Amino acid sequence: MDKAFIQRRRRDLILAAFLAAIAAAVPFFVKDVYVQNIMVLTLMYAALSQSWNILSGYCGQISLGHALYFGLGAYTTAILFTKFGVLPWFGMLAGGLISAVIAMALGYPCFRLGGHYFVIATIVIAEITLLLFQNWDFAGAALGIDIPVRRDSWLTFQFTRSKLPYFYFALALACVAWFVTWWLEDSKWGYWWRAVKDNPLAAESLGVDVFNSKMGAAAVSAFLVAIGGSFYAQFVSYIDPESVMGFQFSLLMALPAVLGGIGTLWGPMLGAVILIPLTELTRSYIGGSGRGVDLIVYGGLIIAISLARPQGLVSLFSRKPKPAAQPAREAVAS
Amino acid sequence: MTALLEIRNITQRFSGLTANSDVSISVGRGEIVGLIGPNGAGKSTLFNLIAGAFKPTEGKILFDGEDVTSLPAAERCQRGIGRTFQVVKSFESMTVIENVIVGSLVRTTNMRDARRKAHEVLAFCGLDARADVLASDLVPSEKRRLEVARALATEPKLLLLDEVLTGLTPVESQKGVELVRRVRDTGITVLMVEHVMEIVMPLVDRAIVLDLGKVLIEGSPKDVVRDPKVISAYLGDRHAVGA
Repeated sequence: MDKAFIQRRRRDLILAAFLAAIAAAVPFFVKDVYVQNIMVLTLMYAALSQSWNILSGYCGQISLGHALYFGLGAYTTAILFTKFGVLPWFGMLAGGLISAVIAMALGYPCFRLGGHYFVIATIVIAEITLLLFQNWDFAGAALGIDIPVRRDSWLTFQFTRSKLPYFYFALALACVAWFVTWWLEDSKWGYWWRAVKDNPLAAESLGVDVFNSKMGAAAVSAFLVAIGGSFYAQFVSYIDPESVMGFQFSLLMALPAVLGGIGTLWGPMLGAVILIPLTELTRSYIGGSGRGVDLIVYGGLIIAISLARPQGLVSLFSRKPKPAAQPAREAVAS
Repeated sequence: MTALLEIRNITQRFSGLTANSDVSISVGRGEIVGLIGPNGAGKSTLFNLIAGAFKPTEGKILFDGEDVTSLPAAERCQRGIGRTFQVVKSFESMTVIENVIVGSLVRTTNMRDARRKAHEVLAFCGLDARADVLASDLVPSEKRRLEVARALATEPKLLLLDEVLTGLTPVESQKGVELVRRVRDTGITVLMVEHVMEIVMPLVDRAIVLDLGKVLIEGSPKDVVRDPKVISAYLGDRHAVGA
């Protein structure tokens, strides 16, 4: 009965597989390490933004403190690896679970806050945690943790000679984040989240458990972001509080989704593909003069896009559900 | 058989203002009951208490033989109380069908079933042609209908309608009246708050008139409209003298 709907879902899936295949082939043609580095970061931010989008886009609980979960993922992996010899793969999982639990523990009081107060709480909590880590000696305090480099190996997820393993992991992560979103979009949770975002009162009257919807979204979102953080720790092999928990990470997760289309399936991907290379390129070509020209250009572009397309770039592609030919009159008469 | 809904000695105060005082009413299965009264009579407060928007200061609410006085709105919905809002609260960024699916997910987690159910309900409410339109693009009368469709998708035993017929054109409100009758014919009990007497009276089996937070009178529509107390509540004492 709903062929169009099923077709659209299938088309999204096929398009995603197609794009992933193209992305996977790119390193065969692009050998430049600098460009490969940008590609890794782009995919990582695409995955992060996609995960951020679950809580903030679909469920409407705007978080500007997701750097917290990114940092927790990075630190969990790094601490477990350097102090206890736990392989990063397990560290990744542990980081994800810890973040999910902490997200729910923080959500418990914070989801009772309305409107802007929730956003402010997320910023404050992330900043407090940053300060705690800067003073936590066991975790290296402000100096951070240097992850000792050993042989290139998938086991320890360390590669010094090539960026390609990182590239493929980041690609996989982006695919997973996208797929989780795709899957949740047509599930009870997906509908509940959007209902909560649009109108919590009405949602409640329809049997939606508003509070637990938010908790669920926070857990999934934090888990995936923490995996990204774990990956980043292995990728850069040196972390300190500011470099994994700084406010800029929270912004870099939010901005691609906002520019691409908040609360949409493709928005974060599209946003990241445009924004992250732009960030890196402006920094390396016109930055470095110490005058912040790169930031001016970057900020200007963001303002331009937001003015021209406040609902996100993805709306350029979406065919609007065709409004029935004569809505108003027919509806009144029928 | 016990009444589907029983309200016992409900009192609701809002910091000094008493919106309902010692209200006791009951609604039987399969009835269409109209809750009417002039502005400020406490209709909406009582309505919200039944739907679970907040807890009463005093009193008890029994639904289907169980005490639901302190249950949150979502749980009341699961037990079979569906409601609409006087000021429509559509999920504006979602399509019409998606709005209704949110409702049908109370009864099933299977998306295929939820979607099928939503289509059935939309067809029942005459909105199926608009299934894929964004809720924000609906005209006001359609939004009212969507409110009803969403609530019906939760498969309620009791449907609470808050002024769904107010402010519509005569043709639209006639459509609305027919819809309410068809809802009742499917076995759902209806409790409707209406402000305008001439719309509700031909529709309801029983009318309960609230005034100044208290039950003024309840009975068949015919008796109620003739009652001097009702006339004076609506029009002032001067008109009641001659009645």
